[in-house]
Amino acid sequence: MKRKRQLPLRLRSWFVRALRVVVVYAALILLAVFLLAPFAWMVLVSLHPSKAPIPTMQTLWPQQCELIGFNPTRCWEQFHWENYAFVLSMPDIPVARFFFNSIVVTTVVVAGQLLVASLAAYGFARLTFKGRDFIFLMFLLSMMFAGPVTQIPVYLMVRWFGWLNTYAALIVPGLGSAFSVFLFRQFFAAIPKELEEAARMDGAGDLRIYAQVIMPLSKAALATAGAFSFFAVWTDFFWPLLATNSMEMRTLEVGLSVFKNSYGATNWPLQMTAAVVVMLPLLVAFLFTQRYFTKGIMLGGLK
Amino acid sequence: MKQRPIGYLFIAPATIHLLLFAWIPIAYAAYLSLFKWDLLKDSKPFIGLKNYADTLQDQAFWNAMWNSTRYTLVSVPVGMVVALFVALMINQKLRGITLFRTLYYIPAISSGVAVSMLWIYVYLPEHGLINTILMRFGQNIDFLSHPAWAMWALVFMSIWTGLGPRMILFLAGLIAIPTSLYEAADLDGSTPWKTFWHVTLPMLVPTTFFVLVTSTISAFQIFTPVYMMTRGGPEGTTDVVGYHIYSEAWEKFHVGLASAKSFILLLAILAVAYWQFRAMKSQLEGYSTTVS
Amino acid sequence: MKHFVRSLTLLVLAMVGGCSTITGDGRTVVRVATWGGAGDDSEFAKVEREIFAEFERQNPDIDIRLELIPGSQEYVRKMLLNFIARSEPEVMLLDASSAAVFVDNGVLKDLTPIIAKDQSFDLDAYFPNVVDIARRGDQVYAIPKDFTPMVLYYNRRLFDAAGVGYPKDHWTYEEFLDAAKRLTDRSRGVYGFKFANWMPGWITWIWNAGGDVLNAEGTMSSGAFDSPETQRGVEFLATLMKEGVSPSLSESAAMGVDLFTQGQAAMEISGHWALIGYAAAPKGSDGKPLLAMDDVGVAPVPTQLSSSQTVMYESGWAIGKHCKRVDEAWRFVKYMTSEEVQRKYARLGLAVSARRDVAEEIAAKDPREAKFFEIVPSARPPWGAKVEKYNPVETIGQNMMDSVLKSGKPIPEALRHAANQVDKEFAK
Repeated sequence: MKRKRQLPLRLRSWFVRALRVVVVYAALILLAVFLLAPFAWMVLVSLHPSKAPIPTMQTLWPQQCELIGFNPTRCWEQFHWENYAFVLSMPDIPVARFFFNSIVVTTVVVAGQLLVASLAAYGFARLTFKGRDFIFLMFLLSMMFAGPVTQIPVYLMVRWFGWLNTYAALIVPGLGSAFSVFLFRQFFAAIPKELEEAARMDGAGDLRIYAQVIMPLSKAALATAGAFSFFAVWTDFFWPLLATNSMEMRTLEVGLSVFKNSYGATNWPLQMTAAVVVMLPLLVAFLFTQRYFTKGIMLGGLK
Repeated sequence: MKQRPIGYLFIAPATIHLLLFAWIPIAYAAYLSLFKWDLLKDSKPFIGLKNYADTLQDQAFWNAMWNSTRYTLVSVPVGMVVALFVALMINQKLRGITLFRTLYYIPAISSGVAVSMLWIYVYLPEHGLINTILMRFGQNIDFLSHPAWAMWALVFMSIWTGLGPRMILFLAGLIAIPTSLYEAADLDGSTPWKTFWHVTLPMLVPTTFFVLVTSTISAFQIFTPVYMMTRGGPEGTTDVVGYHIYSEAWEKFHVGLASAKSFILLLAILAVAYWQFRAMKSQLEGYSTTVS
Repeated sequence: MKHFVRSLTLLVLAMVGGCSTITGDGRTVVRVATWGGAGDDSEFAKVEREIFAEFERQNPDIDIRLELIPGSQEYVRKMLLNFIARSEPEVMLLDASSAAVFVDNGVLKDLTPIIAKDQSFDLDAYFPNVVDIARRGDQVYAIPKDFTPMVLYYNRRLFDAAGVGYPKDHWTYEEFLDAAKRLTDRSRGVYGFKFANWMPGWITWIWNAGGDVLNAEGTMSSGAFDSPETQRGVEFLATLMKEGVSPSLSESAAMGVDLFTQGQAAMEISGHWALIGYAAAPKGSDGKPLLAMDDVGVAPVPTQLSSSQTVMYESGWAIGKHCKRVDEAWRFVKYMTSEEVQRKYARLGLAVSARRDVAEEIAAKDPREAKFFEIVPSARPPWGAKVEKYNPVETIGQNMMDSVLKSGKPIPEALRHAANQVDKEFAK
């Protein structure tokens, strides 16, 4: 009697669970579609003939590519890949130069920031000295007011240095990051004291402990802070907009905004092509670093 | 604890940089704000607190503060609820769940300029993604140039871009909740809904607080989408304070006045953050007793 | 300290090859800023590129670097910011609508001594009232390139079809409205008029109603912007939409096409540049252009005053204050305003050449151009050519217009608000 009643119950709960899984997946997929549809659309528009009228939903997906009557070669021909060649080799908007600038600036800033911040974090997390906590508090406080207040004075200072429209203006103000210091400190503080003491017994100085004990253990922290500052620097808009003024010194992000004015309302396919060109490196970088990303956010948010 | 003065050397580069690019500028901004300082003019007379007095009477500034406030008041809570919901959904042991986590994060890593350009197109009348759908119901809204819609169009976009980081933060909070608490609730015969209210939510208070404060600060400083999409228009309805100060400084070149305005903004942000902290404090105390 | 920082900078620059002033092949770089969009393969862009290339052929020691900053407001901001950074381009195009902020803040070099030294240059070759836009006392800050009054364009085909007489030289608002009503046929999607919602598109309506945005001296807005005359001008524009002779703003946005060029609006107000767009009108199902160039007529804008008033937009070539390569920059300016180059530009039809010889030659050949010529004496420069603080007035004015036409704000209130805002900006 008991057995007979148990079986359908188990079946039912299996069914409920299966239903739940299906519903959850459906919701997850729906959300993914909602979040990514604009990107798919962006790519489709970027492949639209650039001189045609505003692409509409009906014209976006070429007939030759529909399931009925699908024709691989004809379908392929409908996509205007030459938009990409055009955007990358425009005579008046040097996109290649923008790329170069973004790469130079981002590389130097990220490398510099990691070095400067990790050194400081070592001091804050592993050494004791007078005023340490107060100075660290100054770092934390500075995170609150970054933004409009400091931009004007920094601009005036950089102008006084004669740095405007040079790489120095794009790089030097970005070399410090209170957030990275904070992130490294959280990480370093969790490394057991014993490792450090063992090294000290061997007569190692602080610089060696930093370089040979702490840093090798902190690859994840490096990757996390690096990923964060990479995206922050690569997509920074306000500062490069102010600090540079010749076409040759623009970064990709600012250079892209020129497209909007040049091709405003008139040429959406070229605008979207430019947008894809800017997005693609970010997407690739993200796919490589995404696990550090999540880790970094959790680290920054919880401790 | 043994004093190690070599620590000063370690922190020196970062601290000098912090002084040079954060604290000295703050002091310099305070100094600027006492002058009628026009970047195009040679004479820069000292005018004391007049910039502050003028700001307090400046309708356009208060319009901008109000715009930022309503932007924040809607985009932050709605964005947080959506993110929490998604985090709950994604905090399950299902195959491929990390893939979704990655996908959901993509809007957040995108370039602000590219995303703004994309959304101008999404909001385009008649041919835009949204209006293509609305047209089936005979509707056609010029979102970005209609005073009643433009702000909400920006808010909607911010929920889309802001989902990723908030979701990850909530997810981290959820993972950190000890399973023993859920087991205890189960034993008490609690329903999932009750468990959510009495276990999950209280345990998420510190995370919520962190998300709230960081989201509020960044919502108050939103700039790129406004610069790219609406330029503060139509009729000043999206002239948020970040853009307002930008335009005072870099379009009208009144940097003294703009500095005064940014200080008033800073004070407002600090006040709101403090108030949020106070409001959450009792909750936070409740949390620490539960844990210890 | 400053010196040290500077030399460090130079070192960094040398390493990464930033903005050098001499190219690798020893040519001098001359940066030239204009507000044109990035070149496409239109006829205009091709000819312009050829004009620049020709200059480099004639001056093998100079390398022209174009800096395109599309959007007029955007252009002004960037140029001023460049000036503040002491790195404005050697040569820049000066827009009459923002000339004052450049000239009165010392952004530009005084060209008088250069002109005095250069025997081969004759300032009298240009229309004197156009040169005046960038003249302050004896000093001249820009050599005019070209200009255009805002005029009323009309489509003869639509007038003939509706049996309406063509616009007269002195048309009142009532006559205009009456004609527009008779031209409108919404069942065929034809409108009597297409209102362009930007300041150049509506300022003449206010002027010709007897109103203005600033007082005569350009020092104050209250008493002008909120005057009964200005109010009548704005009311008239609202009437045009209420009566349905012009599409409302939301209708225009939804249509997203240029109605006049599509042959679906009988009239519009625009500058000479519009002719380029008309010439490229799309073709209809019968293979003929929707707007035939022969059908395009030009008339003075309607007026309630004794004679029609209009605004003259102009652009001229100027040299930046911090420019160190004055000789090279001047050679470029001289080339761009020379008869040879002006003739090439005039053929493109963007505007009327500022050189009398070229402009008269063109007007003699083409009655439509001759009509432009007739209208020129009634045109006055935009406020921005005289009032240094004018820039915010454009934004405030446009917000006013939007609040009336989009949100239906009561006109007197909108105007009073705008006048107050302008006066506050002027007081800053």
